[in-house]
Amino acid sequence: MNSAQIEIQLIASLVAVACAIPGTFLVLRKMAMISDAISHSILPGIVIGFFITQDLNSPLLILLAAITGIITVVLVEHIQKTGLVKEDTAIGLVFPALFSIGVIMIAKNANDVHLDVDAVLLGELAFAPFDRLFIAGTDVGPKSLWIIGAILLITLGLLFAFFKELKISTFDAGLAASLGFSPALIHYGLMTVSSVTTVGAFDAVGAILVVALMIAPAAAAYLITTDLKKMLLLAIIFGVFSAISGYWFAHWLDASIAGSITTMLGLLFLIVYLFAPSKGLIAVMYREKQQRIEVSLLTFLLHLKNHDDIEERHVNHLNEHINWQKVRSKTVLDLAQKNNMIEIDNKIVSLTEKGDEFTSKAIDYIITNEDAQIEDMKDDFFLFRG
Amino acid sequence: MKKIAVQVDDLTVAYNYKPVLWDIDLEIPEGVLMAIVGPNGAGKSTLIKAILGILKPIAGSVSIYGKPYEKQRDLVAYVPQKGSVDWDFPTTALDVVMMGTYGSLGWIKRPSQKEKKAALEALEKVGMLPFKNRQISQLSGGQQQRIFLARALVQDASIYFMDEPFQGVDATTEIAIINILKELRKAGKTVIVVHHDLQTVPEYFDWVTFLNVKKIATGPVKDIFNDDNLTKTYGINYKVSIQE
Repeated sequence: MNSAQIEIQLIASLVAVACAIPGTFLVLRKMAMISDAISHSILPGIVIGFFITQDLNSPLLILLAAITGIITVVLVEHIQKTGLVKEDTAIGLVFPALFSIGVIMIAKNANDVHLDVDAVLLGELAFAPFDRLFIAGTDVGPKSLWIIGAILLITLGLLFAFFKELKISTFDAGLAASLGFSPALIHYGLMTVSSVTTVGAFDAVGAILVVALMIAPAAAAYLITTDLKKMLLLAIIFGVFSAISGYWFAHWLDASIAGSITTMLGLLFLIVYLFAPSKGLIAVMYREKQQRIEVSLLTFLLHLKNHDDIEERHVNHLNEHINWQKVRSKTVLDLAQKNNMIEIDNKIVSLTEKGDEFTSKAIDYIITNEDAQIEDMKDDFFLFRG
Repeated sequence: MKKIAVQVDDLTVAYNYKPVLWDIDLEIPEGVLMAIVGPNGAGKSTLIKAILGILKPIAGSVSIYGKPYEKQRDLVAYVPQKGSVDWDFPTTALDVVMMGTYGSLGWIKRPSQKEKKAALEALEKVGMLPFKNRQISQLSGGQQQRIFLARALVQDASIYFMDEPFQGVDATTEIAIINILKELRKAGKTVIVVHHDLQTVPEYFDWVTFLNVKKIATGPVKDIFNDDNLTKTYGINYKVSIQE
């Protein structure tokens, strides 16, 4: 690896971390689309900033663009508050309007400068190492590395200082307000951080990838953990993993780095979506199948408990009476036998003591539906899993 | 004469310029267990939110023991409607109860062992200690409501505002909750509950406020919980048999 390669991966990783943090809270607040809106509508801010500073990496440009991001949020909320349209419609109205203003401004005025719509949409990470920062004549590294590094440091500082406030206002804005933590202040703080991060990452990875880096790692982490801190950490790990693996994927394909990182994010989410331990598609399907079997078993045991006469408990009759197909009957019969809940004597099925006790408890639970008994039952039902 | 815990003067609240609460005057004496009753859209939740500064009224004022709410936050605990939060949020029962301590901590400061101990005690009181590490989406409706109650208890307030704490809970939880509320009253606290089930008002509460955009009546249950006020509030000829 040469130094340019290391620098590119470092920039991509820092961008991933800086995006994952606000992204986690956007996902939890169901505001993922706002990041899409911000990433597009900061374009006029960038163009105006570029006309003033003639430098894509100037802090003033970042500030101007971030302000456009905040204006987007305010406009969306204002339109939404009229009650005439829903939030998604408001977003769909605001950001194309602002984005198109930016596009026209570039076309009219910036034909001969380094700023075009392609670069804005997709970024060009491969060129990032060429634009270097010199301090007192010494080369200290690529400018974008310093910019995103500074933004990340501020984001981390704010996260550590206001973690509690972010958590409570995201979970329960009403309580947060009654306790004196202004949810509006925290909301706009988060929007400001999201806007600044978007601008900072924009030059390196472009408007589309910024959205993916904010939302995909957080969405994948959400499927895996039930702890906010772990969710943040996982989102960061997923982001960095996609950034680095995406870089090498692009290297191998000789294709766009931004496109490859986004592809990796998509693949990663797909894998998590399929294989996540309890919320993943496969886990859910397995659980549903288990529940079907458990319900069948209970139905079968109840039938046995309710009928004393031998005729009703004959194996062949059971098939007819419960009206199941042979395979299902056999699965349930085997399961009950394996757990010592029934005994079969001369093709007559009867409940064992354990089976009888279990059935009574189950009926009790179904009738009373009390919380405490659900807990016991959950433990019992786990016996049948695995 | 008892002290006044909550005083509301000429309170008007509007959504998009349409008033949902008209000129409310209300005095809630210290130490009562009060139900706020009224039909859907009567502004019951809005009244609580306006008292707690969550909604900004267009007119009127609120005072808690004679001072504005902003100065008396420490004295007040709030239990929002269970449906107002996302129970899929990645957090545990204990963590939600800990949120009750955030108010006394103020900005930036993190909860310590002291806050954790208080939260565990509150969980114990509502019988939810065994579930402290459970993810909140894995709790039943009744258990979630108990967690919310524990979060209010941990604030150790003087006045408790609760928005429909009995909504969607099983009978056991309802009894457990009302017993805790009665204990609070016994300890001299003031408890204000938005309530839906008119049948249980005389059994659970000693004070009641009838609300339907305007205040209809407020006072002791034994004096004012009658067909006349119910009819005025609900608009139809309302009859409930009050158990003597």
